[in-house]
Amino acid sequence: MSATPTAIGSGPAWLRRVVGEAHDQMRVARGLAVAATVVVFVAASVLIATHIAYVWNAGADEARIVELEGRTKGDPEVAARLHEERKRQTDASVARETRGRVLAWVLLVASGVFVAAERWWESLRPDRVPSLEELVAARFGIVTAEMSSPGRHLGRDKGALGNGRAEDAGTEGVATAKPRGEGEGYIAPETVDLEFVDGLIDRFGRDREAAIPILQAIQAHFRYLPDEALKHVCEKTEITPAQIAGTSSFYSQFRRSPVGRHVVRVCHGTACHVAGAEQITEELRRHLEIPPDEDTDAQRRFTLDKVACLGCCSLAPVMMIEEDTAGRLTPATARQALDAVAKDS
Amino acid sequence: MSTAPQVEFRVGLASCGVANGARPVHEALEAAVREAGRGVARAVGCGGMCHREPLVEVIDDHGQRAVYTHVTPELVPGLVRRHLRPRGLLTRARWLAAGLAAGGNGLQHATSEETTAVPRIVLENCGRIDPSSLDDALAHGGYEGLRTCLEHLSPEGVVEMISASGLRGRGGAGFPTGRKWSLARAQPAPKYVICNGDEGDPGAFMDRLVLESDPHRVVEGLAIAAWAMGAEEGIFYIRAEYPQAVRRVREAIRQAEARGVLGERVLDRDVRLRFEVREGAGAFVCGEETALIASLEGSRGMPRLRPPYPVEKGYRGRPTAINNVETLACVPWIVRQGPEAFAALGTESSKGTKVFALAGKIRHGGLIEVPMGVTIRTIVEDLGGGVPKGRTFKAVQLGGPSGGCLPASLRDTPVDYEALRESGAIMGSGGLVVLDDRDCMVDMARFFLRFTCHESCGKCTFCRIGTQRMLEILDRLCSGEGREEDLANLEELADRVSRTSLCGLGQTAPNPVLTSLRYFREEFETHVREKRCPAGRCTALTDYRINEAACIGCTMCAQVCPVGAIAYRPHEPHAIDLALCTRCNMCFEACEDGAVEVTSRGGICATSPSAQERAG
Repeated sequence: MSATPTAIGSGPAWLRRVVGEAHDQMRVARGLAVAATVVVFVAASVLIATHIAYVWNAGADEARIVELEGRTKGDPEVAARLHEERKRQTDASVARETRGRVLAWVLLVASGVFVAAERWWESLRPDRVPSLEELVAARFGIVTAEMSSPGRHLGRDKGALGNGRAEDAGTEGVATAKPRGEGEGYIAPETVDLEFVDGLIDRFGRDREAAIPILQAIQAHFRYLPDEALKHVCEKTEITPAQIAGTSSFYSQFRRSPVGRHVVRVCHGTACHVAGAEQITEELRRHLEIPPDEDTDAQRRFTLDKVACLGCCSLAPVMMIEEDTAGRLTPATARQALDAVAKDS
Repeated sequence: MSTAPQVEFRVGLASCGVANGARPVHEALEAAVREAGRGVARAVGCGGMCHREPLVEVIDDHGQRAVYTHVTPELVPGLVRRHLRPRGLLTRARWLAAGLAAGGNGLQHATSEETTAVPRIVLENCGRIDPSSLDDALAHGGYEGLRTCLEHLSPEGVVEMISASGLRGRGGAGFPTGRKWSLARAQPAPKYVICNGDEGDPGAFMDRLVLESDPHRVVEGLAIAAWAMGAEEGIFYIRAEYPQAVRRVREAIRQAEARGVLGERVLDRDVRLRFEVREGAGAFVCGEETALIASLEGSRGMPRLRPPYPVEKGYRGRPTAINNVETLACVPWIVRQGPEAFAALGTESSKGTKVFALAGKIRHGGLIEVPMGVTIRTIVEDLGGGVPKGRTFKAVQLGGPSGGCLPASLRDTPVDYEALRESGAIMGSGGLVVLDDRDCMVDMARFFLRFTCHESCGKCTFCRIGTQRMLEILDRLCSGEGREEDLANLEELADRVSRTSLCGLGQTAPNPVLTSLRYFREEFETHVREKRCPAGRCTALTDYRINEAACIGCTMCAQVCPVGAIAYRPHEPHAIDLALCTRCNMCFEACEDGAVEVTSRGGICATSPSAQERAG
């Protein structure tokens, strides 16, 4: 998601002109927030210090007045000093009041600035929670302002699903890490690239023998065998639908339904079985909340595949997340490995 | 650069090494070597010591070898400092200071007997050469065998040589290779040779390792085979689950063609050899010859009736000879060193060496090459270091889903085609999985049967449905619903399945069940009569509990429990809520005070080893 935040979150044009791109804006916002924090601290400390000084001196001041009042009878010099003392104390208290009021205002304004700067900064962070519109735009590569039909479609579909999912879109974005893993229809490409299939036919030939290499290349490209591609192969070559149906159901490499974002292959070879592969699979299924008869979780993040042997028996139990092998697993480390992958993507 | 020999750092970058984190080590080494301005860091294949990966082997300028195990990127600078004096005074001073600051580092040496093991034929160059470099292969004797053949021998001479060596097919059945070659030689051209790299046995990985670590050796083996049999076309059939092996062999063929070792004029002679790689699409049965051919022809990989044998009528209806990867890897060595040297190793009927993939409950798992005739005891206890501390060696599973489990009492059985067949197991492709007292034999039998049942192509009724019925019986036993007649039914079904199946898969599918019944019958009977699993493995029959007297309330078990079946109560004896417990065994592994017990119908099956017991 490194490219999207500048496109999505750099604010209105005038702001960009005045302050600069998201990076500069973030620096300004951070500076403002820090300055406001300093001001708040200074103002609050001055207020508190003043109050403490007042409380501290109040008793002595009052005692001095009382003492002068007692001695003032008939002594004009003491009366003048009393007057002096009263005036000093009144001035001090007026000054204190004024200062307090000014500082209170400063405090309010600075807090306001702090909150505003913080929100500005927050809105520019790359890992912030994206809004639904941004999710749609990021998924379909469309500018938010002129979103075209597929994007709206997504919005409508989500609304139609009910469950209040459209409102929760923000938090969902976090859960799936990438906006792509949403719902069955979004993983499968809208149209299958038949030119690619033509290329394969040219490369591997048109006779019966080419069937498995062609299917393997289609599987490698689309990560499953889309029906359109298979039909196309049948039309263009000597390979019959019966042969395709036969081979694609016979060999475990092929699958006819789309996979999740990541394919995880848990080894169930002898050594892994002995070392507890069954527990690893169980734990991952539980962790991903994969329904009993399926192999992919509801968010279509992971497809879990049991395979016969990955040939890394000395590292048992082993699983492969895409092309990376992870060995000497425990249910806990297997779970962590998946979480790490989910977070990275 | 001077012409003096370079200090060489070799890192094993086969799948096993990469999975253990060898790639960052290789990068760190390259960086360190660059900084030093001398020495070379090279990526090689796997030497077989998988339990100690990542491995770094250092060959210094005097030719001295040193092997470091469990190397991490942090240890690399210290390792390089030990063997290199960098150019440049400043760097040297900096390194000296860094070395002083680092003090004693955590480098671990491999002991000498681990590195200078038994004679190596198949694994001769594995872990020594860079598998992606033809020059490196040539420098270590690559294609010398092929050259010898073309320059000094006749094709008949080569076939005779292979016959004289006593080499037998390493794929499992042990058909004499020389005989296969001479049969194929007698057939009319065009012919095909195929290298069978569809290593489907769960628990076996030596073909992957050889293909990844020394692809040129197998290419040479197939080239010699093709020339000796008079074939011009060769196919490598490698499982798609081994992407790195596929890449390496493709690369090797391309390099060999570019250098004139393969192609229209092999080594400047009037010999034509064209090789290609085909990927297997993930069907165990395709290891069978006729199924493999069906798969190459683009059909479902189903075996057909033999005869005609593939050697008469195979791929595209032409004579086809199919050899296993390991068999072909022996061929260049035999041509170079002579058949007598090969025949000098091994027993009366089984010659040469065999590579075993050692895995399971063993301390030093990995790949080992042993002369035929050594005993299972030697392999497990001496080479493999025995089972982990605190456990007892119970059985060894040989030959994967076609083989069987031999009990510890038969550990003196020699590794020999006939001796193993007699015992009920088979040599198989070389997977050797060690089992300890926590492994249930009924569960093992069920595991293999589930595999063969799933992989059965469905052509023969007894294999398709019979294995399914057998699996249902074993499922019943493991869930405590076994009936008195089950064992007799199992034996009868096993007999029918093996007698009425067309190919090796079905014929040998009941083997794991039959050998387990033969050697561990009382364990089956306990499952049937007492509904108890003595090993504490069958989840439906086992419970976990905490011995309150031993529990110190450390909460380790509560922390690892994935379903929260153990309440988090520090300093109090813990307790497991069996209604929530999934029998995942994590508390058993976590407890260091010997407090977690596995029970089955009241009897204690196992107690978690304490910290001292684990340490040994």
